[in-house]
Amino acid sequence: MDNALLNVSGLTTCYGSICALKSIDFYAHDGEIVGIVGPNGAGKSTLLESLAGSVPISEGRIEFMGRRIDHWSVLKRRQLGLMLIPQEGNIFPLMSVKKNLEVSVILSKRDKREGFIDYVYKIFPILYERRKQIANTLSGGQQRMLAVGIGIASNARVMLIDEPSIGLAPKLVTKFFENLNKIRDDTHKTIVLSEQNIKVLNIADRLFGLEAGEIRFDEKKENLSRDVVKDLYLGSLG
Amino acid sequence: MGGILSLPVLGVAVIYGITGIPNFAIGVIGVFGGFVTWYFFSSSIGLAIAIGIVVCFIIGFIIQRVLLTPISEKGGDSTLFFIITVSVGFVFEGMLRAIFPRPNISLELPRIGTMNLGGFTVEWFKIIALVFAIVTLIVIRLMEEHTEIGKSWQATSQNLKLAKLVGIKTTQVFSFASGIGCALACIGAIFWGSLYNLQLSSGWDLGFMGFIVAVVGGIGNIWGGLISALIMGMVMSFSGYLFGGEWQSVILYLIVIIVLIIAPKGILGSERSL
Repeated sequence: MDNALLNVSGLTTCYGSICALKSIDFYAHDGEIVGIVGPNGAGKSTLLESLAGSVPISEGRIEFMGRRIDHWSVLKRRQLGLMLIPQEGNIFPLMSVKKNLEVSVILSKRDKREGFIDYVYKIFPILYERRKQIANTLSGGQQRMLAVGIGIASNARVMLIDEPSIGLAPKLVTKFFENLNKIRDDTHKTIVLSEQNIKVLNIADRLFGLEAGEIRFDEKKENLSRDVVKDLYLGSLG
Repeated sequence: MGGILSLPVLGVAVIYGITGIPNFAIGVIGVFGGFVTWYFFSSSIGLAIAIGIVVCFIIGFIIQRVLLTPISEKGGDSTLFFIITVSVGFVFEGMLRAIFPRPNISLELPRIGTMNLGGFTVEWFKIIALVFAIVTLIVIRLMEEHTEIGKSWQATSQNLKLAKLVGIKTTQVFSFASGIGCALACIGAIFWGSLYNLQLSSGWDLGFMGFIVAVVGGIGNIWGGLISALIMGMVMSFSGYLFGGEWQSVILYLIVIIVLIIAPKGILGSERSL
């Protein structure tokens, strides 16, 4: 995809002799919500970490906003507009909710910062109520909201979110995905999320199916049935 | 004693708390700064102290930037850091011998006498050193609440990976922390040098005692370190008073061992954060 915002070709990432990603092609357009689905160990997290630069890649190209970034540091990629929200360790545990958000706006201009934090509070009012609370005393669901809040506050052009729904109660998952949709509509950000929850079909514009480090499908939502997506998980189980 | 110890302890705690790297060279670097201060002492005391502190800050900053941070990015473990930082310590001790060919120096700060504390005479210098350590601690706390730099430090110490992801320049934070830690050790060495005298090898005493005290308090936990410094200082004074100076270190380190058997994470527990 030549005109994509984020464009990856032939991406291979190995840990020692084991390759978690094998020559992946991947892309995301501006303002899209892209889901990466696949069973455990498919390489979803590795793909997101490779994009953000927290894992070194072995081969391939990553282009973002027309620039080749695959050997850039995490910080440099972040400055250009790529932000990863990891699956674990995605909050500053001993700081207040407010301070968590305050350190996340550090790259933005001073007069914009408050607006970004206010927007996080608007999307997740509970975080405003709990703004003085220490982050690791929040409930699991609230911590997940804070993690996404950190991503929103950072105002990155592309948010890469690693399995945001894991461990959330089914009712919360629906609500959570609605919020992500709203964030995209409000801010026109691009959201790339890895998921194991089938409900991702409700919000993603496009899905990549990943299995054993290889792309199984790349389809628009309209062209995918729940069965095909489910098959990816069940197939690997059976 | 505890008052003076509290400064290198604070230095150890700041460096370890933020970078997660134990720097065993910190005492030697501090004493190096003490000798630098002594070298300029005759011109102006205030200027000499400032030069010593700045030199230590720069040394700490550079060591972290060019040596320790790159190694830690490659996943260095504590054994490696022990060997490397002890080697750095020997480099600085060797440089001391080469540059200042004098076995020991004494920094003649203006004497301000002693005070009487419940029957014990205490040097004002020790009280000042302790107050200085507490004020430094409070300043760090205030910075964490109200300044961007302080918040970045805190974030980096709590979650390095996320700190990088949100765009904090963690390499700078590390270098800065290391500089501040070494500067604190230098201030400790200057106090030490004005009460006793500084020898070429004093840095190891200062550094290792700073580390042991910090571990007893809960390494990385600054309040624990301060309390531990005070208690250990008192233990030293009392045991010296009761059993004679020769038994001081025997009693002190036996107590250290017993405390660590009972509470391996130190008196207040280590949380590796400020």
